Amino acid sequence: MVVECLTGTKVLMKGNYAIANAAVLAGCQCYFGYPITPQSEIGEFMSGKMQQLGRAYVSAESELAAINMVIGAVSTGVKAMSSSSSCAISLMQEALSYATSDQLPVVLVSVMRGGPGLGNIYPSQGDYNQATIGGGNGDYNIIVLAPSNVQECIDLTYKAFYLAFKYRNPTILLADGLLGQMMEPVEFYDYPYPEIDTSSWALTGAKGRDARVIRSYAPLETDQCVYVDNLFKKYKLIEENEVEYEEYMTDDAELVVAAFGSMYRNVKSAVKICREKGLKVGAFRPITLYPFPSKRLSELADRVEKFLVTEINMGQMVRDVRLAVNGKARVLFKGKAVGAMIDVEDLVEEIEKQMGGV
Amino acid sequence: MATQVFKIPESFRKNVRYSFCPGCDHGVAVRLVAECLDELGLTENAITATSIGCSVGLYDFLNVDSIEAPHGRALAVATGVKRAKPDKFVFTYQGDGDFASIGWAESMHCAFRGENLSAICINNTTYGMTGGQLGPTTLLGQVTTTSPTGRNIEYYGYPVKIAEHIALSDGTAYSARVSLDSVANIKKAKLAIKKAFEVQLKGLGFGFVEILSSCPTNWRMTPEQAHERVRDEMMQIFKLGVYKDITV
Amino acid sequence: MEKDFIIAGFGGQGVLLAGEVLANAFMLDCKNVTWYPSYGAEMRGGTVNCGVVMSDEEVSSVQKSKSDFIIVLNQASFDKYTSWVRKGGSIIVNSSLAKIAKTRDDINYIFVPITKMAQEKLGNIKMSNIFALGVLSKVSRLVSLKTLEKALYNVIPPHRKHLIPKNIEALKLGYEYDLLPV
Repeated sequence: MVVECLTGTKVLMKGNYAIANAAVLAGCQCYFGYPITPQSEIGEFMSGKMQQLGRAYVSAESELAAINMVIGAVSTGVKAMSSSSSCAISLMQEALSYATSDQLPVVLVSVMRGGPGLGNIYPSQGDYNQATIGGGNGDYNIIVLAPSNVQECIDLTYKAFYLAFKYRNPTILLADGLLGQMMEPVEFYDYPYPEIDTSSWALTGAKGRDARVIRSYAPLETDQCVYVDNLFKKYKLIEENEVEYEEYMTDDAELVVAAFGSMYRNVKSAVKICREKGLKVGAFRPITLYPFPSKRLSELADRVEKFLVTEINMGQMVRDVRLAVNGKARVLFKGKAVGAMIDVEDLVEEIEKQMGGV
Repeated sequence: MATQVFKIPESFRKNVRYSFCPGCDHGVAVRLVAECLDELGLTENAITATSIGCSVGLYDFLNVDSIEAPHGRALAVATGVKRAKPDKFVFTYQGDGDFASIGWAESMHCAFRGENLSAICINNTTYGMTGGQLGPTTLLGQVTTTSPTGRNIEYYGYPVKIAEHIALSDGTAYSARVSLDSVANIKKAKLAIKKAFEVQLKGLGFGFVEILSSCPTNWRMTPEQAHERVRDEMMQIFKLGVYKDITV
Repeated sequence: MEKDFIIAGFGGQGVLLAGEVLANAFMLDCKNVTWYPSYGAEMRGGTVNCGVVMSDEEVSSVQKSKSDFIIVLNQASFDKYTSWVRKGGSIIVNSSLAKIAKTRDDINYIFVPITKMAQEKLGNIKMSNIFALGVLSKVSRLVSLKTLEKALYNVIPPHRKHLIPKNIEALKLGYEYDLLPV
């Protein structure tokens, strides 16, 4: 176990340290990173821990180099990761596009801060699009997992490594500055997923076999179409099997408030208060942002009248909700660019307004 | 009785035809790399991070496990490979644009960290694959498709002297500049490549060879004229020699 | 039940550490708890605060604009946070570094010369933060001295373990401070 504590099972830990500890416990062999607030604790922890365990750690010259080092490391079949934030994740988009096409199990932790540009270091959810759509070239998808509390930072870090290897696809753990910096009691446990066999593709030296090439392109037009078609067959599998979400009081809800990450916590308490007031309101949280729980939202839209999407950004997930609902219900938005999560009181007020008061 | 004096290196893939232009020195350079891999018995234990440009097709020629790196990132990718698998022999084969322009930060920091890697850089003073544009090593006065009146200092600044810069790093074990313009120089080039490989095998740090190379197609020259240019113009600015060797 | 706490002061007063001790204590009491810092870009100086939310159920929201208990260790924090106290809530004010003044009549004011006490009784003004937790324990009745003591063992790093007895003394002195109405 990583940390000793009087309680024996629970430790009070920051989100960033929880992520780092979970990565170590998941068997991450290599960490490559460059400092940026609000996620620097991850690299700080890793620098000591990885050396102590005889694993690899590199203070990379840039995020650009860091993510490419991850590409090199995972190409040999080992678990490796980087972590960064917003404007620096922008630098990694090229490599993420390569990694999807190279089919490499890159794990990247993105702890969002304010943007665009340098922005500021306050919490934000402004990189929903950056993670789920991405700024890299070509047709690709990245698996995106969004924790909403510190325990989930651990659970979903484990899962990120598992899914990355299961599908040979880059996976992003999308946290925000608030989650990274907050402390909550958490419980660690052994990595719960099976180890994935990499012997059919990992680079180990061409001993007793033909040399392997991990590459992203086929020189001929038709070959490239076949190649990308196959990638999309994989994405279909991911969409069919890996969707994860949380629902609260949606059974008879006339209005469903949707949020991801730490914003969902306030949504849930607002919904509780509104229920006490007799309002038929529920809450919905995608845990996987890609694959997005479109099917479930579409089902809900058959009887829910309105969806209220709340995010600490100017309306990014709201587009995915609108696509999922596809006109069957009204989709409203409440958000702001950066900073503290929207107050419970404000949410209650908004819900009451949207439901015509009581 | 007949004696075999020439054969295809074991490190080459079977029945592969070079896609390089006629007269291009890449073919010679790749062959020298293959011969060194053969002679040091490294083929089955090697992993290469390939680059972008004319050097991109390396994995089509060499029978070596390869990971494609984005443009300029070969030595970052190679760093990841080597840190994950320190017992593997890891090398890159890059052009001057990849190594010294878009990848300058990755290349220099790899040397600064003293990564136990070997890097070969082909310097042909131009971006070959995209049609002969001005690159980091384009000589003053040289006409390219993006320096139509020749490279002048006001617009383009000075060419980069790669081997000298790499030699300045404390993490560098070996840095040399060689040429492929003559049989004698080709022999020296092979020795240098072997040396850059050996320092990695001994765990001494970063091993680097810059290879002056012709590009007859983009220079609009015959292969013979191109080699003359390597001698008469390139070698005047990019002096051949060993700039650092910590084994001596 | 969900209760919100804020501890505020200037950099170097051990505000974040005090919050961490409090959060650990709630964890040891098997409560759900969340600790979160405010943070600026600077490494030193300026005001610092952290919030602690304790709940019997899962902690829903943090970063609320109102709080049940607020400890302010300097004048700037007192000025800023008085309006943050929830109606009926309490503010513990370090009267060594803030003027005794009441601007609201719907909250409880507890004025304690925390810095002075730490200096005179404990010989170290750095004990102010933990002394303040002792006061909070008495005022809030939500966390016992015993649990706070245990929490100190969780929070204080191994190479500073020798400071624990002194910190326990600070907790007790804070708890025993005579809270007469001003």
